[in-house]
Amino acid sequence: MNATTRLEVLDPTVEPIPMDAALAPRPKTLDGTALGLLANGKRNADVLLEMLREILSDRYEFKAVVTKNKGNASRLCPTDIMDEMAELCDVVISASGD
Amino acid sequence: MSTQPLTSRWLEFDDPTEAIEFYFSMGWTDGLPVVPPTAERVRRFLEHAGRSPSQIVGEEPIRGRVITAEKVATNAVMAGCLPQYLPVVLAAVEAMCEPQFNLHAVTVSTMGAAVLAVVNGPISRTLGLNSGVSVFGPGHRANATIGRAIRLVISNVTGAVPGILDKATLGHAGKYTWCIAEAEDASPWEPLHVERGLTADQSAVTIFPGLSPIQVVHEVAAGQPGSILTGLSEGIFLTGSNQEEIVVVLTPETIGHMQSAGWSKRRVKELVFEETQRRASDRARSGETAASSNDGDKLTGVAQAPDSITLIVAGGQAGTFSHIIPLWGGGSNSRPVTREIRAPEVEAA
Repeated sequence: MNATTRLEVLDPTVEPIPMDAALAPRPKTLDGTALGLLANGKRNADVLLEMLREILSDRYEFKAVVTKNKGNASRLCPTDIMDEMAELCDVVISASGD
Repeated sequence: MSTQPLTSRWLEFDDPTEAIEFYFSMGWTDGLPVVPPTAERVRRFLEHAGRSPSQIVGEEPIRGRVITAEKVATNAVMAGCLPQYLPVVLAAVEAMCEPQFNLHAVTVSTMGAAVLAVVNGPISRTLGLNSGVSVFGPGHRANATIGRAIRLVISNVTGAVPGILDKATLGHAGKYTWCIAEAEDASPWEPLHVERGLTADQSAVTIFPGLSPIQVVHEVAAGQPGSILTGLSEGIFLTGSNQEEIVVVLTPETIGHMQSAGWSKRRVKELVFEETQRRASDRARSGETAASSNDGDKLTGVAQAPDSITLIVAGGQAGTFSHIIPLWGGGSNSRPVTREIRAPEVEAA
């Protein structure tokens, strides 16, 4: 490299590819909706969700509450649980405990 | 040779020191200086490995990252690799993108796992990978830079930057670099990659999601190798119970004692498995919550089966030590992966 040469180097990072997915429409109120509670498999996630259920039930009338635990915090949620919650619930809250 | 252009963003600097400081400022290093990855050097690496820049090596689906050969080569240059090391790095990256390795979870978890790469076969000798004295220590370029390249790909390309996505509570030194060769010449047993389905004349890299290792010192009376098992079982005990896989690195001298007892690799696994059986109540006393069973007298081992104990031979000739490497999540939520290293140029040399 002589005095007039610039050092040309490369950016080692990559940008994430945006996911091809849209957010579900948000309900105007939780009254009359089916609430899903999905624990991520960590200890106490179900405890946290139960507290949330109690708090929310004081404020809203849910037509149903569906609780699931994906069982293993280190793995993706099994497809059958995802499909079932998508079918049965209008809104789903997921929680991690520890 | 590919004439395909490189597509990474280019940066210009007056001198290498300025570039090195810029890479620090961008968080593109592991905390140590990197070799500035010039386009010319990245091209040379790709040509050596016979890869096109845009070739997809793997994908990290959770974060939507596509890992191209160009990005792997760029990070290998930064790590200080030689061009002939790139096929090993590429094979390791391919391996860690296999779904069963669960790369996202492994690289962000509070448990702080690192990717341990174990190289087997002819390429380890061609590249001068260390399998002997100070095998996990510094001083060997191939070991140090291949392991570092894997780490830089994890942080720069997949985005597992410490403190941002990587939430390791403690982490460990293997997260800087962690690559060894198995000491096949010092082992009476079949090499790791042969045990995992390849042939001895193939070159391969096996990656493990390794947690902090535990070194055990064995005091062995001549002709009484049983004390090795006792020490090993004490060392392994606290790593957990019923694990799907755990790695134990045995030194040549330790192996020598086992060989003199006539133990095969399979026999050693069986003996360790048997030696680590403990009552649930003993495990509960050691603080293991999973063992809070009503059946306090029930025996469980550290491993699910003898074959859950992976034995690797490495280290200097002197010293009866074992080196226990617990795996992230007990080896269940991330499965080790073996990949053949395709390096025609190196093998022909």
